[in-house]
Amino acid sequence: VALIAALAASGTLIPAAAGSAPACAASGGGPHAGLVVGTGSQTLTYCVAMDGDTVSGIHLIELASAQYGLQYRLGYGGQAVCQLDGIGPDGDDCFADYPYFWGYWHGDGGTGWTWASTGAGSARVGDGDMDGWTWGTGMSGDTHQAPPHLSFDDVCSAETTPPPTTPPPTTPPTTPPTSPPTRPPTTPPHSSPPGTTPPTGGAGGAHPRSSSPTGSNASPSGSASAAATHATATEPSGSAATGAGTEASGPIVHVAAGSPAPADGGGGSAGTVIAIIAAVVLVAAGLFRMRAGRQLRAAISHAEEQPDARPDELSEGAGPNGRPPGEPNKP
Amino acid sequence: MRIHPVAWILWATGAGIVAFTTTNPLYLGLLVAVAWFVYAARRIDGPTARSFRTFALAGAVALVLRTALSAVGGPLSPASIAYGTLEGARLAALLVVFGTFNAVTDPFGVLRLAPRRFHEPALAAALALSIAPRTVDMARRVREGQRLRGIEVGRWRSLPALAVPVLETGMEEAATLAESMDARGHGRGRRSRYRAEPWSAEAVVMTFAALLAAATFAAAAWSGWGSLHPSTSPLEWPSADAVLLVAIGLLTVPGLRTPRRVREGSDAIAEVTR
Repeated sequence: VALIAALAASGTLIPAAAGSAPACAASGGGPHAGLVVGTGSQTLTYCVAMDGDTVSGIHLIELASAQYGLQYRLGYGGQAVCQLDGIGPDGDDCFADYPYFWGYWHGDGGTGWTWASTGAGSARVGDGDMDGWTWGTGMSGDTHQAPPHLSFDDVCSAETTPPPTTPPPTTPPTTPPTSPPTRPPTTPPHSSPPGTTPPTGGAGGAHPRSSSPTGSNASPSGSASAAATHATATEPSGSAATGAGTEASGPIVHVAAGSPAPADGGGGSAGTVIAIIAAVVLVAAGLFRMRAGRQLRAAISHAEEQPDARPDELSEGAGPNGRPPGEPNKP
Repeated sequence: MRIHPVAWILWATGAGIVAFTTTNPLYLGLLVAVAWFVYAARRIDGPTARSFRTFALAGAVALVLRTALSAVGGPLSPASIAYGTLEGARLAALLVVFGTFNAVTDPFGVLRLAPRRFHEPALAAALALSIAPRTVDMARRVREGQRLRGIEVGRWRSLPALAVPVLETGMEEAATLAESMDARGHGRGRRSRYRAEPWSAEAVVMTFAALLAAATFAAAAWSGWGSLHPSTSPLEWPSADAVLLVAIGLLTVPGLRTPRRVREGSDAIAEVTR
């Protein structure tokens, strides 16, 4: 189900919306960890409820996918992260887009980040920890782009949810500015959908939420269209929000630009059927041929016993016991 | 009509490229079926004909081994097992293609094609290719002989009794082979071609078909199209592209025509049974 939800979330322009207040306030529920994904054009944050005291960095992403519909794709036998939010290579080689790759970071307990020294498959993430992923270049923490400064409380605690006006909504340049606003642009970007949660950002809050990456991509003129985009995203469009979106959490404010659907068109099941039928037909035809060959050999040995028959002609030069190699060059 | 060895080399290369570029089990399964089909239609009698079975067995071992190895050095998950299995399947498909190539060509026919400069390495490779299946065959025969003489052959204790005659016969065979090859002009600098093998229309068609198949897969790999590498995490049922399935189908060309040998054989069967 998580898989389908992830595909649906990435394949549609409006990833997920609706739902009630998340159960992930730091005070309540089980262990939680913060997950920050920097795609280069935006930052996604998730307060992930863990199904164990510690989980691996990979499993944290799987949980975020199940709970929030974060699209992901692993490689190298599930040990490395190839794609997050539709960004990254398609195959099993996660360094196919090198020098760009997903850098892996751990929160340092405050708002800073340290470059992960182990792979995400073996890293242990505990309650209150932060994990960060950034799409960028550089093979070390000195050169790779670090995630924005965020603490666990920024991501997970309802009390510290900033008022809607604090982060100025920005948009990546790729966002089409013509997207029609379905709401007045004054809608606060982090408002919850109409329903159970008051839109004041007090209790419950919005997890995960989108914020400006580092300011470099921020264009001042984009605020109106960004507001429009956010407004669209907060629209409770039930069609896009499959299981994960509806039951899990607050709105996933999610700028859709640059998250292509990784699914490979239709016709897949037809291809499967054709491939299997063709293989079966070929194997059957091969078996038929083998039987014909055996009958031929039987006929040759039978003919050898008959003085009249001439097996040489039947076998086109090759006797039934095989010809010694090197002989065909007879002068 | 025999197919020119160069055509077989190009066919095997094309099939190898197809196997190398994908881990999709649908493509690989179809490719193995095609290799089996071609083997069944075109295998030649002789010591190398058994090599298909040997290589198919080696492929199965590689598949199992690669799957087992995926458990080493990381937590075991369905995704990592599937990844290991698909990598193993690719290796197995390559081995089966190579087995078909060995069973349908005469290794010495291939050797004759080597440029003079590479004659000695090619000679060594051809000898190794031919001696391995012969040794297996020899071991089987010696064991049969022992059994006929009432010697109960256990697995390990009888190893010396098996090895000595096999090695001895192997030495004799090698000496005979060397003499016969020398006598036929395979020595250095004394090579000559008495009979150039003709390029039949069939060989031309199969070569182009194989190259087209390889080019299609290379193009798909280059542009990342056709789901050559199905996702193992999240684990998904792979999809197959019709164009690429047709491309694999092109590799069946050498097995499509019924060789004259078989047709005459069926006639002979009819005659004998009359």
